[in-house]
Amino acid sequence: MFHWLEKHPFFFAVGVFVTIAFAGLIEIVPNFAEASRPSIGTKPYTTLELAGRHVYIKNSCNACHSQLIRPFKAETDRYGDYSLSGEYAYDRPFLWGSKRTGPDLMRVGNYRTTDWHENHMRDPRSVVPGSIMPAYAWLFENSADVDTAYAEQVTVRDFFSVPYNQEIPMKDGSKETVVLADTLAGAQASALEEAKLVAADMKDKSVQDAVSAGQIPEIVALIAYMNSLK
Amino acid sequence: MNKLTLWGIIFAVLMLGLTWLSIGGSKGGLNDDIVNMLAVAGAIALVVISVFVVIKYVRQMQNDTATGKLADKNWDGIGEYKNELPAGWAFIFLGTMVWGMWYFLVGYPVNAYSQIGEYNQDTAAHNAKFEAKYANMDGTALVDMGEAVFLAECKVCHGLTADGIDGKAANLNQRLEAVVVKNVLVNGSNNKLLGFEFPMPTGTDLGLSASDIDEISAYIGNGLNGNEPAMFGVCAGCHGAQGEGLDGVGPQLNGFNNTLVTNILTYGKKGAIGTMPKFADRLNAKQIEAASAYVTSLSK
Repeated sequence: MFHWLEKHPFFFAVGVFVTIAFAGLIEIVPNFAEASRPSIGTKPYTTLELAGRHVYIKNSCNACHSQLIRPFKAETDRYGDYSLSGEYAYDRPFLWGSKRTGPDLMRVGNYRTTDWHENHMRDPRSVVPGSIMPAYAWLFENSADVDTAYAEQVTVRDFFSVPYNQEIPMKDGSKETVVLADTLAGAQASALEEAKLVAADMKDKSVQDAVSAGQIPEIVALIAYMNSLK
Repeated sequence: MNKLTLWGIIFAVLMLGLTWLSIGGSKGGLNDDIVNMLAVAGAIALVVISVFVVIKYVRQMQNDTATGKLADKNWDGIGEYKNELPAGWAFIFLGTMVWGMWYFLVGYPVNAYSQIGEYNQDTAAHNAKFEAKYANMDGTALVDMGEAVFLAECKVCHGLTADGIDGKAANLNQRLEAVVVKNVLVNGSNNKLLGFEFPMPTGTDLGLSASDIDEISAYIGNGLNGNEPAMFGVCAGCHGAQGEGLDGVGPQLNGFNNTLVTNILTYGKKGAIGTMPKFADRLNAKQIEAASAYVTSLSK
């Protein structure tokens, strides 16, 4: 057997590959499968949150803000519990970021509020003196793209079995369901309902008028996304 | 002097010349710069030693012939000398075996280390240290700590001077502003300020007219100074005659206290201005106590 392998370098190479690949399979795959399972309490994004996530990506927020809290005391003091891989199960793509020009936003929904984001996005220095973040005034005028968000929801449900309309276990033992509408019109309506809840906590009259008129400014979607980061 | 030495010297001079140029051309040059001087000394040593070592081995390759006792066996005409393993190598080899056993069995047994484990140890050590150092803190030291907590966690909404940044959050330099009182009297309130659900009825339910509400709001917003409105008795029933609060019935109106601030930080609140998130997960008990002491001190 070994003499034969020595005389046939191609099959020798195949044998080496199979041996090493087997070791890799039994060591890596089970761990990987376990770690990529959604954590308890991690929910898929609603239509409006996903539209907000698109706004986040479109404005390149991830270039300055990470979404990954490392297990160091100094970091968990500031940003909350360290991140688990399962918490990114529904993030496509993940937005870990690689540089913190601004603070981490992994759990920003726990310690910032709708009206704070509103003030901060319009004029960061009005709430954080010395901040170098630019103002994002156009978010108050542009409309969020709910249709694309809905398309992504349907896609991830069909291709990656993201559990929309299914019960999801939460940390306190309760179950929650993230509803995905059957039709685009239904998704638009449910996104608007969500937007109304966010807009109710906002001060900007034009945003509230727009939402009452059935439009969803980008800022509303973005805030819904920020508030969902917990 | 043969050709090899000559080339060696030419090479060494060339390298040292380049070193001289690059150091001399850099900022500061050699003048009193200890780091640059050390770098030059190191460069000279390296170049000279390398050149002489290379010359020695090139000579050896040119002139040496192999000597020693050959092993009996040879492999297709290729033989091997019988050399003893140098003692130093042998001891190092045995040493690595011993070290390897120590490493696997004692030093770092399988799965003995994890990032999260280290984090948990760090956190436990930090908490123990914090507890030991600050457990009995009070007075101005506690207020100072509270200010630090405030500047880390609270100032983004309440502002550096706790003035609420032009109405973006509550002004903590006074207990209650008239607009806040009015909002509570118009809408009622259920903010767990007592630590449990105990809703306050709206002003209308309490039998107050619109003008009563305005008068009472102005009076409380003014720190309960000035003429007491006729209908203030309705408030005093739960909040005390001077607005000093009654345990388990109504929170203090004429100032902050530890219980009140602790409850707000623990449960968050939603009021006239907006929502305040809870901070129970972000601050420990002592930090909350300190923040309470600081906020209380602001309006005194």
